[in-house]
Amino acid sequence: MRTITLSVNGEDLTVTVEPRESLADVLRERLDLTGTHLGCEHGVCGACTIEVDGKATRACLILAVMAEGRRITTIEGLRDDPVAAVLRRHFHEQHALQCGFCTPGMLIMARDLLNRSTPSSEKDVREGLAGQMCRCTGYAGIVRAVLAAADETTSTRSPTP
Amino acid sequence: MVEHAGGWIGASLLRKEDARHLLGAGAFVADLKLRGLRDVAFVRSDVAHGVLTAVHKPDDAATRVFTAEDLAWVNVLEAGPELAAFRSGPYPPFASGKVRYVGQPVAACVAQNRAHAEDLAERVSVEIDALPAVIDCVDALAPDAARLFDGWPDNAFITSRVTEGDPASLAAAPIRLHRRLRMNRQATVSLECRGIVAHYDARLDELVIHLSTQGPHVMRRGFAMALGLPEHKIRVIAPDVGGGFGGKNRMMPEELAIAAIAMKVPYPVRWIEDRREHLIASVHAREHVYDLTISADTSGVLLGIEGDVFVDAGAYALWPSGPFMETSMAARNLPGPYRIRHLDIRTHTVATNKAPLGPYRGVGRPGACFAIERLVDEVAHALGREPIDIRRLNMVTSAELPYDTAGGLRFDTGDYPAALETAIERIGFSAVRARQKTGEPDGRVIGVGIAFYSEQSGHGMAEWTKRKSRVVPGYESARVRMLPDGSVVIHVGVQNHGQGHETSLAQIAAHELGLDPDRISIRYGDTATAPFGFGTFASRSIVFSGGAVARSCRMIVEKLRLIGAHLLQATPDAVRIEHGRVLSATGSVSFAEIAAAASIRQELLPDGVEPLLEVVSTYEPTDSRGVFSYGTHAAVVAVEPETGEVEILDYVVAEDCGTMINPLIVDGQIQGGIAQGIGTALYEEIPFSDLGQPLATTFADYMVPGASEIPAVDIAHACTPALVTEYGVKGMGEGGAIAPPAALANAIADAFRDIGVRIDETPLTPRRVSDAVAAARSAHAAQPSEAAS
Ligand code: FES
Ligand code: FES
Repeated sequence: MRTITLSVNGEDLTVTVEPRESLADVLRERLDLTGTHLGCEHGVCGACTIEVDGKATRACLILAVMAEGRRITTIEGLRDDPVAAVLRRHFHEQHALQCGFCTPGMLIMARDLLNRSTPSSEKDVREGLAGQMCRCTGYAGIVRAVLAAADETTSTRSPTP
Repeated sequence: MVEHAGGWIGASLLRKEDARHLLGAGAFVADLKLRGLRDVAFVRSDVAHGVLTAVHKPDDAATRVFTAEDLAWVNVLEAGPELAAFRSGPYPPFASGKVRYVGQPVAACVAQNRAHAEDLAERVSVEIDALPAVIDCVDALAPDAARLFDGWPDNAFITSRVTEGDPASLAAAPIRLHRRLRMNRQATVSLECRGIVAHYDARLDELVIHLSTQGPHVMRRGFAMALGLPEHKIRVIAPDVGGGFGGKNRMMPEELAIAAIAMKVPYPVRWIEDRREHLIASVHAREHVYDLTISADTSGVLLGIEGDVFVDAGAYALWPSGPFMETSMAARNLPGPYRIRHLDIRTHTVATNKAPLGPYRGVGRPGACFAIERLVDEVAHALGREPIDIRRLNMVTSAELPYDTAGGLRFDTGDYPAALETAIERIGFSAVRARQKTGEPDGRVIGVGIAFYSEQSGHGMAEWTKRKSRVVPGYESARVRMLPDGSVVIHVGVQNHGQGHETSLAQIAAHELGLDPDRISIRYGDTATAPFGFGTFASRSIVFSGGAVARSCRMIVEKLRLIGAHLLQATPDAVRIEHGRVLSATGSVSFAEIAAAASIRQELLPDGVEPLLEVVSTYEPTDSRGVFSYGTHAAVVAVEPETGEVEILDYVVAEDCGTMINPLIVDGQIQGGIAQGIGTALYEEIPFSDLGQPLATTFADYMVPGASEIPAVDIAHACTPALVTEYGVKGMGEGGAIAPPAALANAIADAFRDIGVRIDETPLTPRRVSDAVAAARSAHAAQPSEAAS
């Protein structure tokens, strides 16, 4: 067992883990942050997407011990995040979720996309979300929602010349 | 909240269930934390077929390993239809005697967490003497094929025949085309895998099972029979369920094992299926082989279909329904929407050394639709006609409805040719034909394909008893309870798992009660609180549960009027209900005042009126043979002939599902269903090696389409209300998944129709498509004049 310290959603937490435990398992099982979902545990579905040091990362693919000293943000840490709030509203309005299992990972990846660039076309959004599986919606509502959120966040952040 | 101009029915109300999921605050089975919880890992067979000679537990952990011997007390459930001709082998939670598929559970290991449970599982040694594996459902019926079950005369669960009209007359038909078509095996792939947490609650003296399921009440019945417990000592709770699609609606060995173990240990036990387990050992789906001859006259009138339908059902029949429903629905839907009057179909539901087959969105019909719609295109091709003209010629018209098909279905209402014409127009059929003449600058080839589907829904007792179903889901129930402040909680027996019932059922209640949906909560998924119901599957929820909610609400309304009128000193027939109030000519009283009288101020009630505003009622449509949603899918594809890569350029659906309660949710179901249908058509497959090893065990080799593969579908609605349901609704959850394999296969075949390409097997992977194109090209080069005809 190893004791590590991580910053999770703005709080420094010390937790004792086995070296083989994935970050996702530690977040879910030891820290009770169950908004990070597991759909494959082998890095393909994107349900476990979280942010590590500001970058969207698959929590099932890194070991908790590798996250020592890192800044971790899960869906629970984005309650008051302004970009996430805009995305949430558009996800709701565009019917971008059905069972909701993919939703936290999808939101984090979509937020990452909006923070990195301004996706201006449907194709950009589809490519940006290519690693996020949704089995229910067929993606159309998700794509519409992210485009609408991109529009809104761009116009509020920086008026384009 | 904005009320739709026409009231709550038909309003695209945003969903009540969204908020929690958007916050990551949904509660799925794996999210549940119970004190002392331990995890389970299963030891599974890595051999497809063999004699299980021994299972050795590690000496230091024997009490934490459970084998068939430890669960010998669990009763084996009889599964499948109640037909004498249906055979099924016992399916206990753990293999005993023999193993019959790779992934079959052999033992369960309990530890403090999953990793430790898996460590323990590695130390359990299993001895199996391998037998030849049966992996092809046609070869499986050969007299010398290895047998899964001793004592069966062959490997068929059941062999059956559907005949209608005068099939002997078909031998003289001028056009007789024989084709062999195949839809391969796949998984259901809910993004949340299966999962269960079970414990024995000593205080309540009951077994509590948290289960990711589509039907908690029916599952409780299965658990009770298998575990020998009375039903009042079992509580099944389905929390948020992360997709099901049919895959979470059968009693599975793992779930039974966990529930059984929970009765024997003093702590909660949990099993969360991982993706590998899901792909190899959850409900498998499809895998049909069609060996059919279609007959037509020279004018293109379709006359009949003869031949064989094989369904590879895997090793066991799953409780309750077993696999025959898959086969019989495929056979009965073969005539499609066409006036095909002669039918002679032999069906074979075959046991093989693969994971058991279960229902998956569309059940049977994606295969049947693929078969008939491919055959129609082949007939058109043989006659040198446009496929759409052959469809126009043969399709049942609205004047002919209700129409009894040769497959024994009664089509009720609608206008099928109108859906065809709308799709033809929306896809720009003639523009595609013109574009095909000029060719594509990038060397790709364009094709357009059409497929019609119908979707039986809301079928009750008449249909399920005809199927000899062991459980007859002929009704649904709703308990409507108005609380003392006039707000409403409604418990239903269906199980929302993405369908938006919390919203659509609240709209129905709002409509009936004259109350804002914000004042209404829909609750489900707990056998302790909901009235008995069958769950969510077979596109049944809006018809049955919607009907039950409406009916119970109307009974509440009667009582509200009675009490309201009394409080207003008016007669019940002189009051009306509006916006949460009962109104008379001179005054009004709120539901809150009435509910308070009914609940906590009985002295205000009229004489002879009992307290409480609470009603349970059930509902079944007045005709229980089912109401049919239907539609036409049209697709344009661009195919790269050398690589076989297919891009969907345009996808249109023209559909009619009767009255829509919430069009936003309807569109979501269509788009999502089509995405799954595209998966079946182009991507998803679980192939097996000759030894019966599944070859797609991760998402790296099992292709689930992503955002780049699924186009936004152009949806056109028509609305012909059903005659026998509340509001004229029809179920529509599965239709999207039925037609895409047919529409896309027809589009790909259309792209290469000049060289007579054979497109006869899904998924249409790049390899299958490029092989088919290469084969057609070389055949065409060898015989140019004939193939060009
Ligand atoms: S659970 Fe991490 S990518 Fe699927
Ligand atoms: S909403 Fe169910 S997986 Fe996306």
